[in-house]
Amino acid sequence: MSPKGRHAAGWWALILPAFLLMTAFYVAPILQVLAISVTEPSPGLGNYERLFTSESVQRVIGTTLRIGVVTTAVALLLGYVLAYRIALAGPRAQRWWLLAVLVPLWISVLVRAFAWVTLLRRQGLVNEGLLAAGVIDQPLSLVWNEFGIIIGMVHYMVPYAVLPMLSAMREIDPRVLAAARGLGASRTGAFLRVFLPLSLPGVIAAGVLVFIFSLGFYITPAILGGGKTLMVAEWIKLQILDLIRWGLGAMMATVLVVAILATLAVFSRLVNLRRLFGAGG
Amino acid sequence: MLQSFHEDCVERAQGALRRGVDRRTALRALGALSLAPLAAGGPARAQGARELVIVNWGGIANEGFGRFYGAPFEAANAGFKVIQNSTGPSAGRIKSMVDSGSVTWDLCDSSSTSARVLGKQNLVEKIDYAVVKKSDAISEAFTLEHGAAPYSFSSVLAYDSSKFPNGAPQSWADFYDLRKFPGTRLMRRDALAVLDAAQMALGKDPRNLYPLDTRACLNKLKEIRRNAVFWANGSESEQFLRTGEAVMGQIWHTRAKVLEQETNGRIKFIWNQGLLQAGIFVIPRGAPGGANTQRLLASMLANPEPQVELLKFLGNGPTNPRAAALVPEEFKRFNPTDPANAVQQVTLDGNWWGDNYTQLNQDVIDIITG
Repeated sequence: MSPKGRHAAGWWALILPAFLLMTAFYVAPILQVLAISVTEPSPGLGNYERLFTSESVQRVIGTTLRIGVVTTAVALLLGYVLAYRIALAGPRAQRWWLLAVLVPLWISVLVRAFAWVTLLRRQGLVNEGLLAAGVIDQPLSLVWNEFGIIIGMVHYMVPYAVLPMLSAMREIDPRVLAAARGLGASRTGAFLRVFLPLSLPGVIAAGVLVFIFSLGFYITPAILGGGKTLMVAEWIKLQILDLIRWGLGAMMATVLVVAILATLAVFSRLVNLRRLFGAGG
Repeated sequence: MLQSFHEDCVERAQGALRRGVDRRTALRALGALSLAPLAAGGPARAQGARELVIVNWGGIANEGFGRFYGAPFEAANAGFKVIQNSTGPSAGRIKSMVDSGSVTWDLCDSSSTSARVLGKQNLVEKIDYAVVKKSDAISEAFTLEHGAAPYSFSSVLAYDSSKFPNGAPQSWADFYDLRKFPGTRLMRRDALAVLDAAQMALGKDPRNLYPLDTRACLNKLKEIRRNAVFWANGSESEQFLRTGEAVMGQIWHTRAKVLEQETNGRIKFIWNQGLLQAGIFVIPRGAPGGANTQRLLASMLANPEPQVELLKFLGNGPTNPRAAALVPEEFKRFNPTDPANAVQQVTLDGNWWGDNYTQLNQDVIDIITG
């Protein structure tokens, strides 16, 4: 072994304890659980076959993807507007804006879900207000459906959308925009042809982050869905704890893990995800 | 997020304690029962008591079950200590414990369906009916092959009477009649009791309800799902009716009682066609207590007085045939196994459900979420 190689081996030895700890207490148990998907109720790929044959499995995946995509789209749109406004604000105003974005992050997801119930239910603030103003004469169904779930999830996700986009926008040199204007671009043109493309890596990073979070959502759909919308996380819980079909539950968990890893793998080629999760400068 | 009846008991008991009204009654009852075991079991415990573990769903039910189920047994059997553990013995957790090979639980607060499902997978012990007396339960539904029930509960029809001034719903047929009784319905997001109600709405004789015609029941449910919301835990079911989100619902009798008393009868419930269910306890295979676990279960069924105390405290109905007569007048209206109430209800067939639950529950969830 060359001296340089020995040197490197020394560094690896330093992270060995942490690596072993992670493997023994984190990775191995997870793999053990995921392995149940090919061993129960009988060895083989029977559980995975259901991905193609069972309408209910497909429906759960479809619902989860649909809610995930809509949530991501709405959160990105709102988040982009917010991030743009913050990026252009003065340093003092920026601090207040950021505080306003971050405060919701510190409130329990449970509290926020119940707050939305109070606002959106039949005798809630929104319906009572609209009824009193004479805009409607029957309460609207704002909750106990996918609409309610998406409102709750978007509310949760907007801060996660704002932060990566904001950091991308902050890196855009304002002089570039000035140059575009100087070369005769209109305000809209400068935004569409210069600012937007430059901020795109932040948009993609935010999209990946929000979408992955949405796939595993549990509490918000359970509370705002009125029992009528089932997403993957709750479906897995149902299979494991109530129906004792561990093989099926583990299969779906595996699919979820693989879907998330695949999303990350694809998009890590497009944007620098390490920067998104805080590594490096 | 689906909450079981026992988890709901815990929540209600905590609520009762917070209100402070029932606390004195409860503690007096608890106190009276706890004196005896101290006198009888004290010296034996010093020499190392033999421990039996009852697993419940936590909170104050921990204490309630300890005094009403554990204490009478300790009093009668010197040298035993009954310990309460509040892990929440879901079928999945029982399976993982038995699979792991180190069983530390003796008796688990489960259900008739889980008893059957776990029994078929050989994960729970058979009940020894030489020790547990079938004559200590009001009917065979409370003494199953793989479990026995020291308490009962019911899924009843509750409704907001202010919404129906021209006559109240009387049956599940009325529940499904949206024309005569318009408004949002409320059901548990579960197959159990929901399909049984649909079968009665289809007109089948309640005395001869099983086996259910599952296809017809599922179709019946499909008719109403767009006009329904579904609850996963007891407090949610209460809230849906209290806030007017639903005008009529199938909920646990314990929650219906709270609503009826709280709204001074604006929200009412009927026993007619209610689905009477057994609060089944199971013994995980290889439970450390062995034969003594069976004796503990026998004692829980055999003593009517503590069962009545539990009714007063948590609302859970007794299952001992001698208990109903001991229930004070003001609690009789809310006792699911009071003869006047029991005769109107239908006893849910736990064995039939155990054989069909997994598939049907998936079907029901598919319909609800479809």
